[in-house]
Amino acid sequence: MYAIEIQNLMKSFSSDVLAIDHLNLTIPEDRIYALLGPNGAGKTTTLSILTTLLLPTSGAAQVMGFDVVRQAAQVRENIGVTFQEIVLDPDLTGREVLDIHGRLYKMPTRQRQERIIEMVKLVELDEAIDRLVKTYSGGMKRRLELVRGLMTHPKVLFLDEPTQGLDPHNRAKIWDYIHELRRQTGLTIMLTTHYMEEAEALADGVGIIDHGKLVADSTPQALVTQLGADVVHIVGHGSPQPFLQALQQLPYIQEIHQSDDEGIHLQVGVDNGNRRLPEIIHLASRNGSQNGSQDEFMIDEISVARPSLGDVFLKLTGRALRDR
Amino acid sequence: MVEASVTLWQKHMLKFIRNPEEPLGMLLQPILWVVLFGVGMRALVGGVAPNVGDYLTFMLPGIITLTALGGAVTSGASLLDERLRGIIKEYLVAPIPRLSILSGNALSTVTKALLQALLILILGWLMGARLNSNILSVLAGLLALGVYTVGFAGIALSVAARVRSNLGYHGLIFLLNLPLLFASNALYPLATLPRWMQFLAWINPTTYVIDSMRLLIYNGSNTFSLGLSAAILVIFAALGMWLAYSSFKNVVST
Repeated sequence: MYAIEIQNLMKSFSSDVLAIDHLNLTIPEDRIYALLGPNGAGKTTTLSILTTLLLPTSGAAQVMGFDVVRQAAQVRENIGVTFQEIVLDPDLTGREVLDIHGRLYKMPTRQRQERIIEMVKLVELDEAIDRLVKTYSGGMKRRLELVRGLMTHPKVLFLDEPTQGLDPHNRAKIWDYIHELRRQTGLTIMLTTHYMEEAEALADGVGIIDHGKLVADSTPQALVTQLGADVVHIVGHGSPQPFLQALQQLPYIQEIHQSDDEGIHLQVGVDNGNRRLPEIIHLASRNGSQNGSQDEFMIDEISVARPSLGDVFLKLTGRALRDR
Repeated sequence: MVEASVTLWQKHMLKFIRNPEEPLGMLLQPILWVVLFGVGMRALVGGVAPNVGDYLTFMLPGIITLTALGGAVTSGASLLDERLRGIIKEYLVAPIPRLSILSGNALSTVTKALLQALLILILGWLMGARLNSNILSVLAGLLALGVYTVGFAGIALSVAARVRSNLGYHGLIFLLNLPLLFASNALYPLATLPRWMQFLAWINPTTYVIDSMRLLIYNGSNTFSLGLSAAILVIFAALGMWLAYSSFKNVVST
């Protein structure tokens, strides 16, 4: 059975803009799936529909086999959610937040008390759990929200930008907790993020979403290796056409992608970056440089890296995925 | 439904007790109305107003109602705050009826209104407004207040569900709050009013809760039969909550 299925989902807030455009997606159980995309791509809208907060304009979606529109009540019983913004009552203690949450899901008192102890241990909030939430740091609030989502043993956990606004240390902690959870329990997690490292660190499956369209859906490894074993990044100026044509003749080139983001940015997938770098530079100098004429290509910067989801994103959308 | 309402009611009460400004304001407001306004009006109107007996006793039900209206406004503001901050989403994704989010809030409004009413009754008694010796009758009067408060809380919640900002909320509520009080029998006997104002008072549910409280709590004279007042108040409460529910439902799932 699939934990999440989405068929031809559309959502528009005004007549001319589609927030979600013909989205199709299936996520098997016990996976961590990351929806990666820039702000405004439609990630939160997708999550809002799956968590029964928004009605779709057309199309359908099921969570644990329940339709998100017609069987919203059953969907709600099976999910845990954390939202992009921190939504905690500042005048309650951490324990009260978790307890009230458990009561809304009709958990018996005894079970709630035990679960709170377990949850607090998981996210290391022992010291703070009886303090008012308004005294918590941003990282502590995120951790409390994470376990509030987990409190009621959901089958599917939705995390909307779970580490937004956190420093690297706190972000790594949240990632650790999610890994730990994954080790302990069978749980499907769907998260959205605009941090590619987050998708790489956590997810078994990645969907790249841009302008409401799913432009890729695969494992992080498969997405990345389709670019080649290594990626050579070249930033330059002038006319790259002769250079590009020469590059394409080479047998070991797996992928070339050009964008004009900051000057001319070339992304060249190769089988072995360190070995091919000198040849590429040589090729560039034969197709430019010597006479310095305007319509020839000059390299300003060149580097070799393991390909990342960021490179995949650039290739698929023509734009860099920046942390904003 | 009941379980979720009670849970959310307890949460509101917990926050209420924990936040010292709100209970303090809630205590001070009735004291100001009774001691300053009530005493002043009693001295001014005492000898002049016909057929009302002691003016303080006459206007206490109005003060109780005004205070309850103030409480409902605060509760609406708390829903608005939860909505604007997104706290409401925690409840919207939980397997609880949407209505319980509203009823938990309205229940806490009623609780606060009844606490304030008790305080006003005690203050009034200290200042010579004698209560009905039949305690059940007094309780019935408070019940009428509770039902009325549900209705107005519904209106406040409906506004809170629709407006986009705090400023908009208070602007709109202000337009409702004072007319409900002034265009009623709260401060003056109906018979002394010009026709058009009597008409406004007749269609104003506030008139009926005050009329019943005068009879039930202070053993005063009533203009309308208790049955009519009860029916109108129950309809008002039901309409108020229905209005809140339909506004809320529209806003949260588009």
